[in-house]
Amino acid sequence: MIGAFKAVFWSFFGVRRKAEYDDDAKKLTPQAVIAAALVSTAIFVLALYGLVKLVTR
Amino acid sequence: MTAAAHAQDHAHHDDHAHHPTGIKRWLFTTNHKDIGTLYLWFSFTMFLMGGVMALLIRAELFQPGLQLVNPEFFNSLTTVHGLVMVFGAIMPAWVGFANWLIPMQIGAADMAFPRMNNWSFYLVVPAAILLVASFFVPGGAAASGWTLYPPLIIQQGISIDMTILAVHILGASSIMGSINIITTILNLRAPGMTLMKMPLFVWTWLITAYLLIAVMPVLAGAVTMLLTDRHFGTSFFNAAGGGDPTMFMHIFWFFGHPEVYIMILPAFGVVSAIIPAFARKPLFGYASMVYATASIAILSFIVWGHHMFTVGMPAAGNLFFMYATMLIAVPTGVKIFNWIATMWKGSMTFETPMLFSVGFLCLFTIGGFSGLVLAITPVDITLHNTYYVVAHFHYVLVSGALFAIFAGVYFWLPKWTGNMYNETLGKAHFWLSVIGFNIAFFPQHFLGLAGMPRRIPDYALQFAEWNMWSSVGAFIFGFSQLVFLYVVIECIRSGRKSEQLPWEGADTLEWTHLPTPAPYHTFETAPVVK
Repeated sequence: MIGAFKAVFWSFFGVRRKAEYDDDAKKLTPQAVIAAALVSTAIFVLALYGLVKLVTR
Repeated sequence: MTAAAHAQDHAHHDDHAHHPTGIKRWLFTTNHKDIGTLYLWFSFTMFLMGGVMALLIRAELFQPGLQLVNPEFFNSLTTVHGLVMVFGAIMPAWVGFANWLIPMQIGAADMAFPRMNNWSFYLVVPAAILLVASFFVPGGAAASGWTLYPPLIIQQGISIDMTILAVHILGASSIMGSINIITTILNLRAPGMTLMKMPLFVWTWLITAYLLIAVMPVLAGAVTMLLTDRHFGTSFFNAAGGGDPTMFMHIFWFFGHPEVYIMILPAFGVVSAIIPAFARKPLFGYASMVYATASIAILSFIVWGHHMFTVGMPAAGNLFFMYATMLIAVPTGVKIFNWIATMWKGSMTFETPMLFSVGFLCLFTIGGFSGLVLAITPVDITLHNTYYVVAHFHYVLVSGALFAIFAGVYFWLPKWTGNMYNETLGKAHFWLSVIGFNIAFFPQHFLGLAGMPRRIPDYALQFAEWNMWSSVGAFIFGFSQLVFLYVVIECIRSGRKSEQLPWEGADTLEWTHLPTPAPYHTFETAPVVK
């Protein structure tokens, strides 16, 4: 599952090292990636919201 | 094999060799290539209609003062031009490409649900008729802008109901098309065609189809609430009855921003096929392109508020949408970087598809940068509803989506028709388009920065000169599309016979595993992809 989160993190940035991508393609299932993406998006939104709260305090 | 089984197999084969002709072929077709062709011709027809509306707008704006049309009709023109171009021209064109290319690129015989495919197409026709016919009903066509904002939209006549019905039908068609595309891609890939071997065009359409399924019901909900506000006494968006017009904006743009990506992601796929073919190098960073596309799709759901910085959201809300919007530029920038890296030290030639792709790359980037400018809340508050916004989204949707459509048509015309187009005229079409487009839309940045509001038929004298240039450019751009029409018709009717592989760098299944032109039925036996 940690591998799925790492893959999603790199996808947010939009790049991935070839060897690691090949490793992802072998090990990760689409279900794990989608679940990790939904959780990561929620974390991302909350982090942005936290940043906004911080600067408008 | 027994004799009975052999006969059955033979009968089956004969059934597939059947090639219907005449009007019935087009009315009852379930063939993905026929339906793709229908979509493409339909979208070009709508493009010409929307284009005529655009030229009427630019003719009126050639000089200050009211010359040609009255203000109500002008507002209808801007509204229906937007709706027709978004829902009638760009989206159906991409569905046409999807129909033609996805089965061939993944090694499938057809789409997963061929009859539903036929129905998807024949739904868009009545919707288009409703939109265009609304000009001829009492009160004229919808005049609220393509965003259909209340309370203006609550007050107009029957044309609004026609527009709402059209949007519903188009939404149903898009959802059915998306289900078809997702099922085809996930279930009908040839043996060995793993997800990460699929051409980028297939990937971008898979993600686009998910976006469509996610947001079209949201738009349907919004316009249904408009309908009940108009006729059934509800007050969803009516402040007098306790409703809130701002809520419509939130719901509309929750649909509307992913909609922008619905129109541009397939363009990324087309350009990702063409640039490697003409640079004679594999696409740089294929995996990162897939990742970046998925990332853009996810982020597209959390940036809608940047369309409404001026409605009075709390500062925290404005800041959130500003940060999120700026971050979406990162994966988009990765894509631009990858296309440039693909061209780097490539053995490049510049036939028409490549010209349109390079034009896309340069001009879409300008549209992206002006989008970043508009993402900055305090700047947007100044530029909101000005011509700067008009310039920005035309750089994204015309030199972005439309140029990629042209690139794709020129690239795959030999595969579709078996004939080559006239390269000289193709290049003339590109140069006339790119020059006309820039003369039409670049000055609109200046007009917006100087404060000219959008959607007005008359303007103050200080805006006269750039408006004149913009109109001249629009007419050059508009009429140069007739060159495109001529090139396509000439190619179909009397073009020189194409070689089997007209583009030496093209390496997807439709080029490597199928004859040119593609036969009526392809991949009845799935290829094995290594």
